[in-house]
Amino acid sequence: MKESAAGSGAQITPINRSDRFKAWSRHHRQLFRSTLTTLLAQPGALLITWLVIGIALSLPILLSLALRALSEADTRQVIQPAMSVYLSVPSDSETAQGLLQRLRASKAVRDVRLITEQAALLEFSSLSGFGDVLNAFSENPLPGIIEVVPRERDGAGIKLLAQQIQGQAGVDQVNFDAAWLERLSAILGILARVLYALGGLFSGAVILIIGNTLRLTIENQRAEIEITKLFGGSDSFVQRPFIYRGFWLGFGGALLAWMIVQLSLLYLSGPVERLAQSYRSNFALEALGFGESMALFALGALLGILGSWVSVWRYLKQIQPK
Amino acid sequence: MLVFDHVSKRYPNGFEALSDVSFSVEAGEFVFLTGPSGAGKSTLLKLINGVERSSRGQVHVAGQNISRLPTRKIPDLRQGIGVVFQNHQLLFDRRVYDNVALPLLIAGMKPADISRRVRAALSKVGLTGREGDWPETLSGGEQQRVGIARAVVHRPPMLLADEPTGNLDPDLSREIMSLFLQFSQLGVTVLIATHDLELVEAMPARRLQLQGGRVIEP
Repeated sequence: MKESAAGSGAQITPINRSDRFKAWSRHHRQLFRSTLTTLLAQPGALLITWLVIGIALSLPILLSLALRALSEADTRQVIQPAMSVYLSVPSDSETAQGLLQRLRASKAVRDVRLITEQAALLEFSSLSGFGDVLNAFSENPLPGIIEVVPRERDGAGIKLLAQQIQGQAGVDQVNFDAAWLERLSAILGILARVLYALGGLFSGAVILIIGNTLRLTIENQRAEIEITKLFGGSDSFVQRPFIYRGFWLGFGGALLAWMIVQLSLLYLSGPVERLAQSYRSNFALEALGFGESMALFALGALLGILGSWVSVWRYLKQIQPK
Repeated sequence: MLVFDHVSKRYPNGFEALSDVSFSVEAGEFVFLTGPSGAGKSTLLKLINGVERSSRGQVHVAGQNISRLPTRKIPDLRQGIGVVFQNHQLLFDRRVYDNVALPLLIAGMKPADISRRVRAALSKVGLTGREGDWPETLSGGEQQRVGIARAVVHRPPMLLADEPTGNLDPDLSREIMSLFLQFSQLGVTVLIATHDLELVEAMPARRLQLQGGRVIEP
């Protein structure tokens, strides 16, 4: 005791670099568990905080899943009916068959289906109940139709294809709703931006929620922080437990967000499937994949750490031993 | 071990708590710091563990100039100084064990060593087997002894106490003081601020008297 007092001075047994590192990692390991245990000791308060974070995170995620489903290639046909090419010549004529061959070979076209005059008549009479009216005609008044599903997805590209088909021999008229498609693209674009903005806002909200929760904790532990500083706890030593608390709050919130998202999808899947079937589409709201789930958990943890940084830096600096 | 060299401390509001204070304390010495309240006793102690910085002059602790110590070095300084408070400043939401273990946690000690040291410190202050108790179930004297165990558990070369017997009756006060004396006999430099003159006169120790921010050594 006497030697150390006279020798190296006001230092407890001098610590070397590797011991310091061991102590540092031991503190981290210990806090990883102990902060969770402390949080779990107040399950009610913890659950509410987790729920608030979970709801805030799940809203933009649900929106983004819906948007992704809407923009996906295969599902476009739900709202994008094929282009209808009305023939001016009989569907079994050489001109019509030639047109059919050229469309089938075209790179701009994904799918082609010929509806002959007879088939059109059958479909029309069965669908509309106008069978009797049609019977009044001595011959079938309906033209043959080629249904063309374009490969191109945006409105302008489809318009161009329609113009090319319009110029072909044997074509009477090409029908499709170009304006509708353009509007849809624009709406999806706006929705994507709204989604980014919402994602940013909700992430910011999560950071603030966690920061505020921790601010209260810091206030409650003022005495402990002061004592720790008086006994030589460094700023990073003092703030470490709060960083871990932030981590758990964010991570747990993300876990709840994940559950909320998956349950919502389960809840929505039935009606969505029925709707899609009525459009003869395989449209479906897809659940979060493994990678996406991991990304969500990482995001939650990151937001938690950020939130604790914000509040720890603001409030811990103010707490000095008196 | 401790040198004050023409130290003055003026607070931002203009109050000069210490004026041109000079003295030195040898390692292992036991020193009473006396004087009426407001004489600057607490300020003097705060200058030693870096809670306050001197306005003029220099404070040396174990050869280190504290007045010029960068802020990031202050935790290392404090780890070598044990502190005892008037109202013991125990954490009431922690058991006795965790209160005493705090300095060892800060020092990064292994859990097994912490357990051994905490038990040793508690037995030294006569509280063997009370690790699991909550501070509020202890008497005032016992609480102060837990505070002392916490201050010495990491075996600091220096021990500072600010009115450690302020709330205790004379018998308990003598008991606490004899504990401090034992530590100084083990080589710990002990500095105790108190206004309990009766107690000071009963102890065979050096006395630094503060009066209006100046040292009068009788």
